Amino acid sequence: MTGNDLAIRVRNVSHQFGEEGSTQFVRAMLETSLDIRRGELLCLIGPSGCGKSTLLNVIGGLLTPTNGKVLVGDTDVRGPLPQEIAYVFQENALFPWSTVLENVNLGMMFQGVPKAEREPRARQSLAAVGLSDFANHYPGQLSGGMRQRAALARALSLETGILLMDEPFGALDEQTRMVLGEDLSVLLSRTGKTIVFVTHSLGEAVFLADRVAVFSARPGTIKEVITIDEPHPRKPGFMTSEKFTSLRNSLFALLHEEIRKAMEQSTASERAARRGAKS
Amino acid sequence: MTSTAYPAQPPNAVPLGRRLKRWFLARPGVARLGVIVLLFIAWEIAARFFVDKIFLSPPSIVFTSLHTVFETNGVPNALRISASEIVAAFAMSVVIGLVVGLAVGLHRFTHKSFMPIILLLYGTPQITILPLFILYFGIGPASKIAFGVSHGIFPIIVTVVAGVQNIKPILLTSAKSMGASRWHIFRWVIFPHMIPSFFAGMRLGMTGVLLGVLLAELYVSTAGIGYFTTLFTQSFNPTKLLGLISVLAAMAILLNEIVRRAEIHYSRWRSD
Amino acid sequence: MSAEPESAVSKSAALKSATPKRDRSALGSRAVQVAFVIALVGLWYVGTTYGQISPILLPNPLRVFDELVDVLATLEFVTDLRITLTELAIAFSISAASGITLGYLISRSQYSIRVFEPLLAGIYSVPIILFLPLYILFFGLGPASKIALGVTTSFFPIILNTIAGFGYVDRIFVLSARSMGASDYQLFRWVLLPAAFPIILTGLRIGFTVALLSILGSETIASLAGLGHRIVHLAEGMDTARMFAYIAFAVAIALTLNTVTSSLEARARRR
Repeated sequence: MTGNDLAIRVRNVSHQFGEEGSTQFVRAMLETSLDIRRGELLCLIGPSGCGKSTLLNVIGGLLTPTNGKVLVGDTDVRGPLPQEIAYVFQENALFPWSTVLENVNLGMMFQGVPKAEREPRARQSLAAVGLSDFANHYPGQLSGGMRQRAALARALSLETGILLMDEPFGALDEQTRMVLGEDLSVLLSRTGKTIVFVTHSLGEAVFLADRVAVFSARPGTIKEVITIDEPHPRKPGFMTSEKFTSLRNSLFALLHEEIRKAMEQSTASERAARRGAKS
Repeated sequence: MTSTAYPAQPPNAVPLGRRLKRWFLARPGVARLGVIVLLFIAWEIAARFFVDKIFLSPPSIVFTSLHTVFETNGVPNALRISASEIVAAFAMSVVIGLVVGLAVGLHRFTHKSFMPIILLLYGTPQITILPLFILYFGIGPASKIAFGVSHGIFPIIVTVVAGVQNIKPILLTSAKSMGASRWHIFRWVIFPHMIPSFFAGMRLGMTGVLLGVLLAELYVSTAGIGYFTTLFTQSFNPTKLLGLISVLAAMAILLNEIVRRAEIHYSRWRSD
Repeated sequence: MSAEPESAVSKSAALKSATPKRDRSALGSRAVQVAFVIALVGLWYVGTTYGQISPILLPNPLRVFDELVDVLATLEFVTDLRITLTELAIAFSISAASGITLGYLISRSQYSIRVFEPLLAGIYSVPIILFLPLYILFFGLGPASKIALGVTTSFFPIILNTIAGFGYVDRIFVLSARSMGASDYQLFRWVLLPAAFPIILTGLRIGFTVALLSILGSETIASLAGLGHRIVHLAEGMDTARMFAYIAFAVAIALTLNTVTSSLEARARRR
């Protein structure tokens, strides 16, 4: 695989918070390497605290890893790359004091898009996510699903090659997730962007991704990468197919023991904390 | 055999400067103390070298001469009287505030009728009627207590009403479903629920009482604290004036702190 | 289906049950309020007209009204009002400018917030009126001491609210803006400022109200001019009826200013 086929190269990245020996020391992620192909949709999945969000933040330049580096194209990632990477957060990062349209415009202004181009691109992105009628609404007036659509529109309008999404549907109910997932698949099959997507949901991972990287429990690293060989856009029928079920099952098998490990870790640390508090 | 002439530096030694900085960064409380010390030093320097002696006195002199303030004839008595005025006004505010608050808050009708009147009174500048209080109650402690009460009752009434009104209806419903009488509901549901708000109100009430009593005291320049502040001001004695003000400030801080601690203690069950 | 006879009784009964209980009690409480005020004023009138209350202690409401009309008609209030309002304007401008500027600077780092915020909150818990004799000593009985006290009192709510507004902007907004390439200025102008604005506005309203109160207070306690002083002057001259008129006037001014600032704040926060 030549460098041109790879959008992102993660090289031996590990990260820890705090200093060794201090009470706030957390080893967030063990040494991890990963190649992400141009135009693919890669999912990062794993138990809580495994480091998947940390890895996403490192890729996006929002966090400098304590070890290792990330290459986007030929550049070392040292900070946000607004021209290359757009980020969709889990919680609502839409500015509540601006309308949906203003939010999308602001994103482009920050990136440096000239004023004349902003309005048409904004309208286009909003149409792509189905929010044209709500351009002048405030985020507070919209439902959770619509807000995430707006956040997606803002990210799309930046016309970056790479899109990072940190559990974008995490705060939504199952039915909204299903609908948004289908819409996302349709949308993204048209744009050809490279997407890295963090999720907790097995079904979401199998439905949307080309490859799924499974993390081990904290401190985590990538345990295995599963390939999902199914063309985009994914049809709703795919979800009920045998192929889907067997892929989902293999994912479940990989994850299950890691999730158990993570649970034991957290109860053990809770017990230790309570013991420490009592003494 | 190798021996080292000097003790070897451990390979990961952090330079002293950076260690100090990190130590300070971890302790904002120490930095805060540092700021206070710096302010006192600035006061000291300004008073000694830049400002005329009749206008400002340095802290070193103010605090070492505190005893002269207390030795001034009548000051300890005035302070004692002021302190008792504050306590009396606070006690009365709490009782009146609680009674009126409960009376207004417990029934929807009284709440609707009287709350707007209370809020209107709460929002008027009572300072404008201070001369009236003195006119009616004289220049002795009565007017100071009355003015203190008139400042202290309103936050207490408002918070007691809020505490009674803000009960989640589900709590009342579940009590009723278990067969609680009206008295039971008041004694075991409404009253305990209202306590944290009541204590918050008392904290604000103490602030109000302090304001009211001090305003009245400062206004009456012929007796009490007001007499001495006027005396020290007109005789250009910043040392004694600052000393007296410091004592009053310390008293206010102490009283505020007592009520604040009580509030924290009695609001422990609150999760908000 | 049989037709119901539309008798007057059943119609009013239907109307009564159609009017929600809510509206009827609202009418009732409004009536109580009106009755309360009328009773108070009535008692006042009856007590002073037919009772033995000395006019120096409690003047007749009609006389107070006459005095008020006189004060307004002869424009006697203008000098004092102008002094008080000028002191207020100057004091508020100084405290707003300094409070917001310093508040913004302090909010720039979590550390400086942790150092300074408790300090400022602590000083604010001391009754600021205690500073007045100091200012009188320093500035004399003129407007300067009133302005100084006004600045001191209103500075704290403004700076504390500014720190709260700028310092506690949800980190996700900053992160999001940075990830899209926002410069420092863009971050301030489009994220920090709009996020902090409502809170700062509340601080300004509180600061304004508190400045007015402390200026009136200092005019009452030690002054040669202004509305507060006028009231005291009339009290000392035993001209109680005119004093009542001025008190009513001052309260009206204060309430008007309060209402104006509150509605300005509400309009700016309408989202």
